[in-house]
Amino acid sequence: MSIEAISAIAASEGATAGLTDYAPVTGQTNVQSFSSMVSHGLNAVNTQLHASDIGLQRVAAGDTQSLHQLMIGMEEARLSFQLLMQVRNRILEAYQDVMKMQV
Amino acid sequence: MDYEQIFAISAAGMASEKTRVQVAVLNIANSQTVATRDGVAYQPLKVVARPVASPAFGSIVDAALSMQPTVEVVADQSEPRQVYEPSNPLADKDGFISYPAVDNISEMVRLMSATRAYESDVVAFNTARSLALKTLEIGGS
Repeated sequence: MSIEAISAIAASEGATAGLTDYAPVTGQTNVQSFSSMVSHGLNAVNTQLHASDIGLQRVAAGDTQSLHQLMIGMEEARLSFQLLMQVRNRILEAYQDVMKMQV
Repeated sequence: MDYEQIFAISAAGMASEKTRVQVAVLNIANSQTVATRDGVAYQPLKVVARPVASPAFGSIVDAALSMQPTVEVVADQSEPRQVYEPSNPLADKDGFISYPAVDNISEMVRLMSATRAYESDVVAFNTARSLALKTLEIGGS
C-alpha cells in the first residue's frame, strides 16, 4: 500500500528542513518554501503507511507479537492520511476562491 | 495530550490485559500437573499491575494524566495441594502427590474480567479515533 508516485514527487523536491508540525506559522517558517512543507508531510504519511504495511506482512507470516499495536499503527496511519486529504481540500478551496476573482 | 498519547495509553492497557489473559490461560493449563520427585513443580503465577507515571508523556504538569498500567508477573507463594493417591507413580513415600494451588474458578473469573477490560480499552480507542476523525471535518461542508 505504499504510494510510490507520491514518494517520487517527494524525492524530486529534494531535502526537507525540520518542520515538524503544521500548527505554528511564525515568521521563521515563511522562509521555507511551500513545496518543501508539502513534501515533508507526504514523506511522513508515506513512512507511516509503509510501517503499517510491514506490520501487516509480519502478522500474515505468523509473527503475532502484538496485534493491537499493529492495529493502532494502522489507525494512526489512516488518521494522518485523512489529515493530508483535508489539507489538500482546504488548499484547493482557497485556490478556487482566488481564481474566481474577476480580473 | 495529543491523539498519539491517547492511543499509546490504550495500547498499554490492552497489553496489560493480554498479559493477564495469558497468565490465566497458563495457570489453567498447568492446573493438573503433578510435581515430580526431584522437585520440579509448577508455581502458579499472578499478575501485579501498578500505575506508573511515564516521563515520555509530557511535562510535570501532565504527570497525573500520564499514568499508565505496568504489569509484572510474579510467582504465587501458596502451598501446593496434597492429594492422597498411592497408585500414582509419582507418589512419595506417604502416597501423596502435590498439585499446584490453582483455583480454576478464580482463573475463569480473571479471564472474564480481563476480557471485559480489554473490550473496554478497544471501545475507548475507537472513541478517541472517531473524535480525531470528526475534528478533521471542521470547515468542511
